[in-house]
Amino acid sequence: MKSIAHLTLVVCLLAAWGWAAAPAPAAINSSEELQKEDGEVGQYGGRLVIGQRAEPKTLNPVTATDALSREVIGRCHADLISINRVSQKTEPALAESWKTSPDGRSFTLKLRKGIRFSDGQPFDADDVVFSFTVYLDEAVGSPQRDLLVIDGKPLVVAKLDEYTVRFTLPRPYAAAERLFDGLAMLPKHLLQKPYREGNFAQTWSLNTAPSDVAGLGPFRVKQYVAGQRIVLERNPHYWKVDRENHRLPYLDELDFLFVGGEDQQVMRFEAGETDMVSRLSSENYALLRKEQSRSGWQLSDLGPSLEYNFLLFNLNPIDAGKMNEIARKQAWFRDLKFRQAVSAAVDRDSIVRLVYGARGTALWGNVGPGNKLWMNQSIPHPQRSMEAARQLLKSAGFFWNDSGQLLDSSGKPVEFTIVTSSSNTQRMKMATLIQDDLSHLGIQVHVVPLDFRAMLDRVFQSFDYEAAIMGLGGGDPDPNPEMNVWLSNGATHLWHLNETQPATDWEREIDTLMQQQMVTLDYGKRKKLYDRVQQIIAENVPFVFLATPDVLVGAKSQIGNFHPAVLDHYTLWNADQLYLRAPARGVERAGIR
Amino acid sequence: MMYVLQRFLRSVLLLWGLSFLCFLFTEMAPGSFFDEMRLNPQISPETIASLRTRYGLDRPLGVRYARWTIAAIHGDLGYSIAYNTPVTPLLWTRAKNTLLLTVTATFLTWLLGVPLGLLTGSARGKFADKLATPTSSFLLAVPEIVLAVGILALVVRWRFVPAGGMMSLGFEDLSPWQKIRDIAVHMLVPGLILVLGGVAVVERHVRASVLEVLNMPYIQAARGLGIGRVRLLFLHVLPVAANPAISLFGFSIAALLGGSLVVEVVTAWPGLGPLILEATLSRDLYLVIGAVLLSAVFMIAGNLIADLILVASDPRIRAGESNAA
Amino acid sequence: MRRKLCLGFLVGAMAALHCAILAAAFIAPYDAGAQDRDLPYAPPTRVHFRDSSGWHAPFVYRWIPDRDGYRLDTTTRYPIHFLARGESHSVLGIFRSNLRLFQVDEPARLLFLGTDSFGRDEFSRLLYGGQISLATGLLATLITVATATLIGTIAGYFGNWIDESLMAVGELFLCLPWFYFLIGARAFLPLHLSVAGTFLLLIVVIGIIGWARPARLIRGIVLSARNRNYVLAARGFGASSFYLLRRHILPETSAILLTQAALLIPQYVAAEATLSFLGLGVSEPVPSWGNMLSPLQQYTVLVSYSWLLAPAVALVITSVMYWLLADVLHHWVQSHSIN
Repeated sequence: MKSIAHLTLVVCLLAAWGWAAAPAPAAINSSEELQKEDGEVGQYGGRLVIGQRAEPKTLNPVTATDALSREVIGRCHADLISINRVSQKTEPALAESWKTSPDGRSFTLKLRKGIRFSDGQPFDADDVVFSFTVYLDEAVGSPQRDLLVIDGKPLVVAKLDEYTVRFTLPRPYAAAERLFDGLAMLPKHLLQKPYREGNFAQTWSLNTAPSDVAGLGPFRVKQYVAGQRIVLERNPHYWKVDRENHRLPYLDELDFLFVGGEDQQVMRFEAGETDMVSRLSSENYALLRKEQSRSGWQLSDLGPSLEYNFLLFNLNPIDAGKMNEIARKQAWFRDLKFRQAVSAAVDRDSIVRLVYGARGTALWGNVGPGNKLWMNQSIPHPQRSMEAARQLLKSAGFFWNDSGQLLDSSGKPVEFTIVTSSSNTQRMKMATLIQDDLSHLGIQVHVVPLDFRAMLDRVFQSFDYEAAIMGLGGGDPDPNPEMNVWLSNGATHLWHLNETQPATDWEREIDTLMQQQMVTLDYGKRKKLYDRVQQIIAENVPFVFLATPDVLVGAKSQIGNFHPAVLDHYTLWNADQLYLRAPARGVERAGIR
Repeated sequence: MMYVLQRFLRSVLLLWGLSFLCFLFTEMAPGSFFDEMRLNPQISPETIASLRTRYGLDRPLGVRYARWTIAAIHGDLGYSIAYNTPVTPLLWTRAKNTLLLTVTATFLTWLLGVPLGLLTGSARGKFADKLATPTSSFLLAVPEIVLAVGILALVVRWRFVPAGGMMSLGFEDLSPWQKIRDIAVHMLVPGLILVLGGVAVVERHVRASVLEVLNMPYIQAARGLGIGRVRLLFLHVLPVAANPAISLFGFSIAALLGGSLVVEVVTAWPGLGPLILEATLSRDLYLVIGAVLLSAVFMIAGNLIADLILVASDPRIRAGESNAA
Repeated sequence: MRRKLCLGFLVGAMAALHCAILAAAFIAPYDAGAQDRDLPYAPPTRVHFRDSSGWHAPFVYRWIPDRDGYRLDTTTRYPIHFLARGESHSVLGIFRSNLRLFQVDEPARLLFLGTDSFGRDEFSRLLYGGQISLATGLLATLITVATATLIGTIAGYFGNWIDESLMAVGELFLCLPWFYFLIGARAFLPLHLSVAGTFLLLIVVIGIIGWARPARLIRGIVLSARNRNYVLAARGFGASSFYLLRRHILPETSAILLTQAALLIPQYVAAEATLSFLGLGVSEPVPSWGNMLSPLQQYTVLVSYSWLLAPAVALVITSVMYWLLADVLHHWVQSHSIN
């Protein structure tokens, strides 16, 4: 024990010296057009430690695809227009104002003047044009390119003067300014050379020297220790100030420790080694709640998230040769009454209680109560009814034999398999519950857990499955990002992929409505169109919607300005405004970690 | 000498065959790295297809294998799709951390396991054996991951050592002596889990083998002649009972890189474990194959060392080589 | 005498355990898949013999869901009925009956080991699960040990290039990324496998992958043993290879064989859980100790619902018993061998 105390003291002293070396915010220059944040005023200093499941893979905002990389990159870069995670509406960011043309196709953005990157170099329209050139370049292969391509045509960027840029869309696009959220503005002075040389994808890997990386976000990279942590420090030139004109961010350092899965993250949080946890399961949340009075943690249940879990049936046309069993069963799946019966028999209450520990909500459509702006409130939420299910099945020509088994009209017993990803314990549990529910109808269901990618291969490629439990959604509440799920030729039209023509009338109707809402600029009109889409989906049950979990987060009591939200990034979206209340943080934090 | 050369040749062949089978297996497994992106409605299939082309994933197996082999001969094990950097440096930085942990744990395992095995083997039925047998059976029966999470849960409750990781924050500012202590403290939990499991295995095998030897007539004779117990154990019993232990030691060396995966993942030790787990699940092919080959090198080295020691220590094997059956 | 007593005790305990598991359908109060969605994660119900009004036949109280868990409803006693009628079942698929050893009246539940996340009785699942797990563990171990002995003996006895090539194949086996192979294999198999098919697959897969290590150990011993004086002498007298192996060499391997066997059984039971992850194991709602162990990887389960450690405890007890059995067998082999 004594040696530990000794070590603590030494580390403490050294760490105090170490923190003195964090860059101080640069003095405010009158030529800078800064954004004033209207929140609570905090105090400077301190370090925030966040646990991550594994390490990020790259620091390159253009090629990063995984959530871990995006978590770190998002704190180091800024976009032109941001979506405020709490209000879910757009607000100015690097663009301090913008004008839309009457036809909704052109956006003229005025950039903030006098702003500098984290390495001190100035930011202007050249950087914006360069950034979009990179994003749109097919040779670079950024996944974000697809966001900027509408109807097969990319948007066009033009520099009007040093601080003004115009974007022109191929056609009017509703809520187009939402496209800019998350598109990091890149420093031309650092990245132009690798771009011209054609090795852009290899730039800004994890081993890049911190001095070669720059961004407009509240933090910049300080140090990366392979397999252990990545440390971000304050960006002294950050372009936001608080109400009293102190330059943000308040925090000196933001550390990401690679601690492991959710259980390890909770364990470290409990041990005090990390300061925040995000997207807890209900069991872990309950565990932390038990100790809340002693520890003073801020634990929040933010209500339903935007993701939706569902059971889907394979309605893809299959050549009956190889997979004739599946083809035979598709006759049942294609019958609307069969799907409605399954939906009536599913015990959503139990799913919410047993899978989400009552911290979740049942769903009957793809838009749940978490999405306040777009949910169609008038869709019916029928309670579970085995009677209704039986009636539906009877009227569809199914019947029961003496031992209670359900048989189809040709006398074959009704049984099918549900595949799901074995790494997602919640969906596995849902499968077990549904298996039990349907056994009361005389349907025998087999649950087959598969490796995640093996399952995706079956759903997207080989179509060698009968039913699956999956989840989608969770990004933006706006309907546009979901287009490809509901358009009949969309790439994520999971139950029936590769449609050249809409397979049914209701799919055709959805196509028309979705296309319409995409170009309707008025929110009221869009809402009506999207409401009708939700109604058609609820009536035709392409997915049997199940439930959505609540967003559960936690943070230490000393963290100020903690305003978690149901949109990504749940806890760090306002990292520039987070601060630590207790100044003696250093002494308390040092030591064994 | 000839023998070592022969083994070297055989190892090269083995590695070559292994690499081919790796490619074959990864080709067999459905799914690829970019599949996860298909679930994102905002990414088009064309982008995913072009990414696959860019990383050469759509080329036929033969072509990919040929290119990889040619590069591998020059030491280039390919690119990691996830990290966009070459595989070799990725593996090497983390392999060092893994070796630090496993070499220490293996050393302690054998230091404790052999004497314990000798003790319980020679004192069968007595107190030491009665204590050790259920303990080692328990340790061998509990699945490693349950043991790991259990110990970690205790650590979190009592907080006398860090709950994971290898270095504290602010490690760079410590003095060399402090650094050693910091790492040692972090090594306690993963090391404990590894040693507990390892000692049980070694103790059991040594014990069984000691029991076998103690039954031999010449040992009875030696005891009858009045040779002391300790001398008997170390000079007469151990050399003979060592045969399976030597093979086991070969396994210990073989497992230096791969045997600690579960422990590293659970305690967030920054070694090969978490890297390989991520890479395997996400189908980061060349990283996985590189790691498999690296582990195979250790396996081959381990078995070679074990075989050399076996031949050197047991004259009967040497004799047997010359009058081949 | 004391040794015989201990041995008798061990044999008795093992017989009792295995019989209980075989007769799971009779002893278990409930079916393995019977969910009670109002009682997830319920703690075990203690059996009481007396209350305020004196002594009674064994009875239990009922769990009532409460705000943060459960509370005991001590107002009503629910006596345990022995040899009562319950859900119908078939013992080993042969006898049909609905006679069960323990039952209580609804709405109480007899939960010796609490419930899991679906409200399924852990005790019943433990018994049913033991059938698959022990059978898998034992049979897979048998396959591994048999294969390892065969290969190790051939390699060690004949030496030279046979030894080299067999050990090289073994090394290959140990290094290969089986994860991908198994996922690929899964893709070739039909989507739904019957319980019998899964069982067979498990035994074969687990058994075949694991032979390399024991084979090496056995090969080392055989290499040494084949040149013992008495072996050379016997050979000089014209003994055949088969005789030498059977009489002199193989008994030398018995110690390590038994140790390896006892080591592998619990590993293989747990391996079934890993295979379930890939879709090759027993699937819901069929229980096995392997898939009952996977929730224990979660920190909260380990800490808050400790009764779910039952399969781990059962596994440990079973393993310890098999270790002791291996010890006894080893002693028996020794006392009956020529040496």
